[in-house]
Amino acid sequence: MKNGLSLIILLAPALVVILVLFAGGLALGLSQSLGYMPIIGAYGFSPNAYLELLGSPGFVPSLLLTIFVSVMATGIAVTLAVVTALSLRKHFAGKKLVSFIYQFPLTIPHLVVAVGMMMLVSQSGLLARAAYRIGLIGDSSQFPVLVFDDLGIGIILVYVWKEIPFIGLIALAVLQSIGNDYEEQARTLGANSWQTFRHVLLPLIVPGILPGSIIIFAYTFSSFEVPFLLGKSYPAMLSVLSYRLYIDVDLDARPQAMAMSILIALFVLILVVIYRRISQHLVRGSA
Amino acid sequence: MIGNRRELRGCPTCTRVVHLIVISAIVGGVLLPIIPLAAWSVSHSWFFPSILPSELSGRAWAYIGSPLSKVLSALANSLLIAGLVTAAAAGLGIPAGRALGLQRFRGKAVLEFLILAPIIVPGLAVIMGIHVLFIKLRLVDTLFGVALVHLLPSLPYMIMVMSGVFANYNVEFEQQAFSLGAGKIRTFFHVTLPAILPGVVTGSLFVFLISWSQYILTVLIGGGRVITLPVLLFAFAAAGDNAVTAALCIVFLAPAVLILVFTSRYLSGESGAMGGFGRL
Amino acid sequence: MKRKSIAIFSIVILVAAGLWAGGKQEQTIPFEQRYMSMSWDQIVQEARGQKLYWYMWGGSDLINRFVNGYVAERLKGEYDVTLEMVPVTDATTFANKVLGEKQAGRDSGGSVDVMWINGENFRTMREAGLLFGPYAERLPNIQYIDAADSSIANDFGYPVEGFESPYGSAQVVMVYDSAKVGEPPRTVGDLLDWIRANPGKFTYPGIPDFTGSVFVRHLFYHVAGGYEQLLGPFDQELFDTIAPKLWALLNDLEPYLWREGKTYPETHTKLQDLLANGEVYFDVSYNPSGAASLVAQGRYPESVRTFVFDTGTIGNTHYVAISFNSSSKAAAMVLANLLLDPAAQYQKSRPDVWGDLTVLNVGNLPQEWQEKFLSLPRPPAVLPPDVLSSRKIPELQAPWLEAIEKGWTENVLQK
Repeated sequence: MKNGLSLIILLAPALVVILVLFAGGLALGLSQSLGYMPIIGAYGFSPNAYLELLGSPGFVPSLLLTIFVSVMATGIAVTLAVVTALSLRKHFAGKKLVSFIYQFPLTIPHLVVAVGMMMLVSQSGLLARAAYRIGLIGDSSQFPVLVFDDLGIGIILVYVWKEIPFIGLIALAVLQSIGNDYEEQARTLGANSWQTFRHVLLPLIVPGILPGSIIIFAYTFSSFEVPFLLGKSYPAMLSVLSYRLYIDVDLDARPQAMAMSILIALFVLILVVIYRRISQHLVRGSA
Repeated sequence: MIGNRRELRGCPTCTRVVHLIVISAIVGGVLLPIIPLAAWSVSHSWFFPSILPSELSGRAWAYIGSPLSKVLSALANSLLIAGLVTAAAAGLGIPAGRALGLQRFRGKAVLEFLILAPIIVPGLAVIMGIHVLFIKLRLVDTLFGVALVHLLPSLPYMIMVMSGVFANYNVEFEQQAFSLGAGKIRTFFHVTLPAILPGVVTGSLFVFLISWSQYILTVLIGGGRVITLPVLLFAFAAAGDNAVTAALCIVFLAPAVLILVFTSRYLSGESGAMGGFGRL
Repeated sequence: MKRKSIAIFSIVILVAAGLWAGGKQEQTIPFEQRYMSMSWDQIVQEARGQKLYWYMWGGSDLINRFVNGYVAERLKGEYDVTLEMVPVTDATTFANKVLGEKQAGRDSGGSVDVMWINGENFRTMREAGLLFGPYAERLPNIQYIDAADSSIANDFGYPVEGFESPYGSAQVVMVYDSAKVGEPPRTVGDLLDWIRANPGKFTYPGIPDFTGSVFVRHLFYHVAGGYEQLLGPFDQELFDTIAPKLWALLNDLEPYLWREGKTYPETHTKLQDLLANGEVYFDVSYNPSGAASLVAQGRYPESVRTFVFDTGTIGNTHYVAISFNSSSKAAAMVLANLLLDPAAQYQKSRPDVWGDLTVLNVGNLPQEWQEKFLSLPRPPAVLPPDVLSSRKIPELQAPWLEAIEKGWTENVLQK
């Protein structure tokens, strides 16, 4: 009994905040997306906003672009994170300094990275100038288009830069807890580095980094700031599209903005549910 | 260390070369987007294809230091808001983390999902929904309202980290303190807090950084009145003034980097604080 | 007893209803009328101690310094009004805000007091009843404005009628790098010839960028053979005869543009970057002294100059407007008046401050001010004021803009 009360006291404050802000926000967003908006005198209840949104010409290209950027960013970041973690777990001269540099991106805000990346990889950026100096290109227009481009490459680069240490630190922690025994055994059995990695280390690492990977995929999928600064206006990533609808002077676009938000939220929630199913399956399978 | 004991099959030189490439790539890759910022902030004219600025000038820094640019007050706002959010997140999240880490109860999995959901679901989507309520409650255009919405994406991180820390926490120490006659408050400060401190620091770091970097939530709820560093940064980045933008970037990232330097020992992965992420 | 209490009760109800109705009557006298019957001194008196939030574009350190420095200091020192500038990236955000407040029934204590506004946003807000006015005629300094100037009395062809007050002038200039171009083309036709002879070195921002839109409008005037017939309300038939020529022209031009017209720079800022880094040799700008400011900041090479077409370039005015629910309307009017003060206009026109063209009728000012304005230093990248004003041609009404912008997206971008 006392336990129950103390439980409530411990949890309640945080829960109230989360419930009001999060659940309340979603609920209000949902109701507004269905047309219940006293603010413009609309008391209707209709799925019109969703239909208009799904039928609008900008929606599918935005969705595809967002999925592409999220998949690429997450895939590349995770791969590079594992590779760098494998190198960083060893002891070498200057490891402390390199580790510090490795963690640096964690604290740098995304906007700063976006600005820095723009100054680095735009057609008149630092890399382009270096390429000109060494004679690779003759004119700035010959440098590949990496920002404000159709594939969101600059955006992907920003997220990869930010997320590698995030996954990398988790991977390092996992590698540390695994220890060297499995590798030792594999080596005595004649496996080379690649085989050891592929068949011994990788299966052990994956469950550990999977939650983090899901987080960064969801984060990239719903991201706003970086595509707002570095992205082309058409097609725009989904969050940018929803914001534009929201600040439209035509308040009738609001329900569509809300509908877009609900769709984004649904998508990531479904993603997490699928992930939990898969991970439970994996756990059972390996048991 | 152990690996040195035997000769590894395969190509040790290759491994070493790969290792070197990886390390150089890490150092280069991390520093490359950041280094141009310092140069841009003091540049006057710097056109393609010059590698270095052709003229230097203090215009950007003079502007930032001037009270007419509102940069210093934006910095103060950012610090104040992030500080408030961190304090609130600690006050709410430490007890919640304790409950989740130490106790088992029905519905715990559902609760964990609810608590973690704000990390997964984009903040903009949720805050767009609650904006109307904030307008009604007159919370828009206020510092407090902005701090409140910053809690949304950041509080779950504090709870997660603290629940991970408490899961590895031994309650017995507290029992011992009680049996020795210590009161609840004394016990908390002398037994509990020192034990959970690495987690509190890690969680606070996350929360501070998340609030520090917020842009669109501040713009939406702050209504343009609550001016933080990211708001100014974005305005100048969109206007294409590279020198001022770069200088603002440096001001913007300085406190965050400083905090990292102070707390880097807690982030080494050995404190178990990152273990909370496995609980997803 | 019962009848008496019913009577008393009824009387109370009637009196209460009367008071309520009477009170309501008072509330329906709009604020506007209150200010109409006050003298200017009374308005200044009421403004004392008020705080003012001015929402405006915040992307220029020069403008920010001028507003937060000179303007704010004079307001505080001379009128005891506190000015807070609120930087926005896009004007629609505050239009949206005021609209939201009106819909939520917030008729006073609005969060937006004054706005830097013109064109489309003015019309939208005016038609939605979001602006306070007419107030412009109450400002003493309005006397310095040329009342007969239709480009001030009309904002993109839409009558201002005192619901906003002017404070600066804009006019389109073509910007070019004299080190690369030499002698620039002087007419639209010459420019088109130059583009064809020098492929890849010219482009314009994609619509809906403001600057891209005005460049296209110049070509619209060009294919229409002049602007006079276009100045009235939107004429669909007329548009349909002229527009196809415009699309044909722009589409034929595409292969000679930067990136062969496959993509257009998204914002004016990006076009400025292209010019700065030598990818193109031209820029279009609404601000005649913008190029000079950028040269001073080191963002343009020193060889950059400007020119206007012999056939003229479009000019317009920038205004401030006051929101309907501001609780600092008196202070807002004081600000609007201060902006029209010759000293403030002169300060604003100084190239080292902002370089914004004055909106005052210089010929009507006292002699000393005329001399001051005429002797303003002029960097090489800025054209003389008489050249600019003699080549100034008007804007079209908003529906024309919408039709042109929509048509561009459908017929040029997506082809």
